[in-house]
Amino acid sequence: MDDLYLDNIDEFVNDQNKIVTYKWLSLTLGVHVNTAKQMLYHYLQQKRNESSGTPLHATYLVSGKCVENGSTYHKVSVVREDKLDAVKAKMDVTISVHVYSVQRAELKDSSPLYSTDYDAVKENLKNCNKYSAIRCAAAVPLSSSELQRAQETALVPPVEKEISKPGFNENTSATSKPSAKQPAGIMGMFASKNASKSQESSKEVKTEQKEDSSLVETSKSKTASKANPMSNFFGKSAQKKADEKPNKSIKEEMDSSSTASATASLKQSQTSSKSETDVKEEQSKVSKALKVESKDTRSKTKRPEVVDSDDEKMESQQKKRRRIVVPDSPPVPNVHTPSPKKQVKREPVSHQEESSEVKRRKRRRVLRSNTFVDEDGAFVTEKGYVSESYSESEEEPESNSQAKDSSSLKQSFGKREEEKKEKSQKKTSAAKKPTKQPSIMGFFQKK
Amino acid sequence: MATLTRQDLNFGQVVADILCEFLEVAIHLILYVREIYPSGIFQKRKKYNVPVQMSCHPELNQYIQDTLHCVKPLIQKNEAEKVVMVIMDKEHHPVERFVFEISQPPLLSISSETLLSHVEQLLRAMILKISVCDAVLDNNPPGCTFTLLVHTREAATRNMEKVQVIKDFPWIVADEQEVHMEEAKLIPLKTMTSDILKMQLYVEERTQKN
Repeated sequence: MDDLYLDNIDEFVNDQNKIVTYKWLSLTLGVHVNTAKQMLYHYLQQKRNESSGTPLHATYLVSGKCVENGSTYHKVSVVREDKLDAVKAKMDVTISVHVYSVQRAELKDSSPLYSTDYDAVKENLKNCNKYSAIRCAAAVPLSSSELQRAQETALVPPVEKEISKPGFNENTSATSKPSAKQPAGIMGMFASKNASKSQESSKEVKTEQKEDSSLVETSKSKTASKANPMSNFFGKSAQKKADEKPNKSIKEEMDSSSTASATASLKQSQTSSKSETDVKEEQSKVSKALKVESKDTRSKTKRPEVVDSDDEKMESQQKKRRRIVVPDSPPVPNVHTPSPKKQVKREPVSHQEESSEVKRRKRRRVLRSNTFVDEDGAFVTEKGYVSESYSESEEEPESNSQAKDSSSLKQSFGKREEEKKEKSQKKTSAAKKPTKQPSIMGFFQKK
Repeated sequence: MATLTRQDLNFGQVVADILCEFLEVAIHLILYVREIYPSGIFQKRKKYNVPVQMSCHPELNQYIQDTLHCVKPLIQKNEAEKVVMVIMDKEHHPVERFVFEISQPPLLSISSETLLSHVEQLLRAMILKISVCDAVLDNNPPGCTFTLLVHTREAATRNMEKVQVIKDFPWIVADEQEVHMEEAKLIPLKTMTSDILKMQLYVEERTQKN
C-alpha cells in the first residue's frame, strides 16, 4: 500500500511527462506537503538506484543563512541538481534542503515550475493550504460584509495610510513582545535578518516581505483592530491574500490582474505606480537569475517575521519613495545652475569696482575692442577687458565714441556685455542709492 | 452572455485573435526550448498568467508577427488546417516539425462566461507541454533555422497569392523538401478541445538528426 505512490509518481513523470512538484503532488494525492516531499525523495532514490531507463532531473529547495557584503540574511532558493552542492557550500548554515520537483525534462528556466502549480492551486483555492505546514488561525476568508467594508476603506486617500505607518510600528513592537517567547533559534535567525539592510538582501527580503506582508497584516489585525481603520483594512485584505497563494508571491506581484484582492490596490495607492514598476523590474531581474528564488514556506512561526518584515517593508517603501524623488531632482539643479553662474560672473566684476574709487566714480572692467594696424599692415581687432572708471550718474550717450569702434557687430556685443555689468552693478549698489534705469547708451559715458 | 454563432464575424475574429496570440507565444517558446537562438535574446514575459519566454530581437519578432498576421484571415474563415513550424539543419533538411493542427467546429456558439478562462487554461497546459518537450525529443544539431508553413484547406492559397496582406511579405508555395520529412517519428504532445477551437500539437522528428 505504501509503495503505491511510487507507481503514481512514476506514471506522472514517465508516462505523462509531467513536472511533479511537491505541492502539486500533495494537492493531487491529498497528502501533507512534508509527506509529498518524502515521497519524491524516495522515488528519486529508487530510480537512481535502478540506474535504468530515462534520466530524471530534480530541483531542490535550499534555505539557509548567507553572508553577503557583511550582512547576514536568510536565503531561500530553488536550484537545479547540478548546482545544489555549489549553493549549499555558499551558505553558512544550511537550514533545510528538500526536493522541489522531479521531471524528465531538463528545465532551462523556472517558468514551468510555476505553471505546474498554478492550475492545481487555482482549483483548490479555498483550501490550498490544507496540506501546508504553515498555519495561521486568523487566516480565514472574509465574509461578504467584511469584504465590502474593506473595499470601501480602499477608497480612503493615501495620506491616511502614511499617517498610519507610525501606528504600525508601535503595533508591531507590541506584537514582538509576546512573540519573543517563540522558539529562540528562529528568533535569532530573524533577528539577524533584521540587522541586514543592504540592497542586495532587500531583494530576497522584499519578496519575502510581500509574502509575509499577508502574514504581517494578519497578526496586526489581532492587536490593532480598534486602533486604525487602515490596519483593519490591511488585516482583512491580507487574510484574503493569504488564502490565495501564500507561497508564490513573487509571481503574485506580477499577477496583479488575477488577484483582485484589495492588497493589490492598496499597494498601488500606497506607493506610486513607478515604484511598482521598479519592484516588478527588480523581481523580473530576480527571476532571471539562474537560481530561481522562491518563497519561504518553511517558517515555523509567523510572529518573529512580523517585526522584521514590517520594518523592512516600511523601509523598502521609504526606499521606494526615495527612488521616486531622486529622478526628479537632477533636472532641478540644472535649471538653477546657469543663473548662479551668471551671478558669480557678475560679482567678481562688481567686487573689483567697489574696491576702487569712492563716491560715484567707479572703475570697472569693460570688454573693449581695440583696432590697430599690425606690422603686416592688416587691421587687427582685439577684444579685451579694460579697466576704466565711470560714473553711475552719467548716463548721457557719447556719440563720438560710437565712431571709434571698429564694427557694428562688435559694438552691439560690447553693449550687451556692459549692459549686464551695469545691471549687476545696479544690484550691488542698490543699497546705497536708488536704482537708476539703465540706458542702452550707458556704456558710452566715460573713458 | 449572448450566444454568438459562426455567422457572426466578430466571433471568427475572436477565435483568430486568440489563436494567433497563442501561436506567437508558442513559436517563441519553441525557439527558446529547442535552442534555435541563444537564450540571451529571450526575456520573461507574462501570458495567460504564467511566465513565458519571448524574444527581444526586433526582426525576428517582426517576421513572426507578419507571418501570423497573414495567417489570421485564413483562420477567420476556417481555411487553415495546420500551422507548421519546421526546424531545419544547415543543409535545409528538416529535423523537426512542430505541427499545430487546428479545426473549428462548424456550428459553434459561445454560451458561457467561463469559456474564455477555460480556453486560457487549456492554452496554458499546451505552453507547459512545450516547455517539457525536450524530454521526448533528441537534441538538434547546431546551426538550425526555422520556417513557418501553413497548410490550407482547398484552394485558399490562391487568394493569398493574389492579395498581399502585408506589403513585401509574399507567401510562396513551400518546397517539397520542407514539407515532407524522411524517416519521421511522430510524437504527440498535447491535444486540446474546447467549444470554439480544437487543436492538436505533435512533433514529427527525424530519426537520425545528425
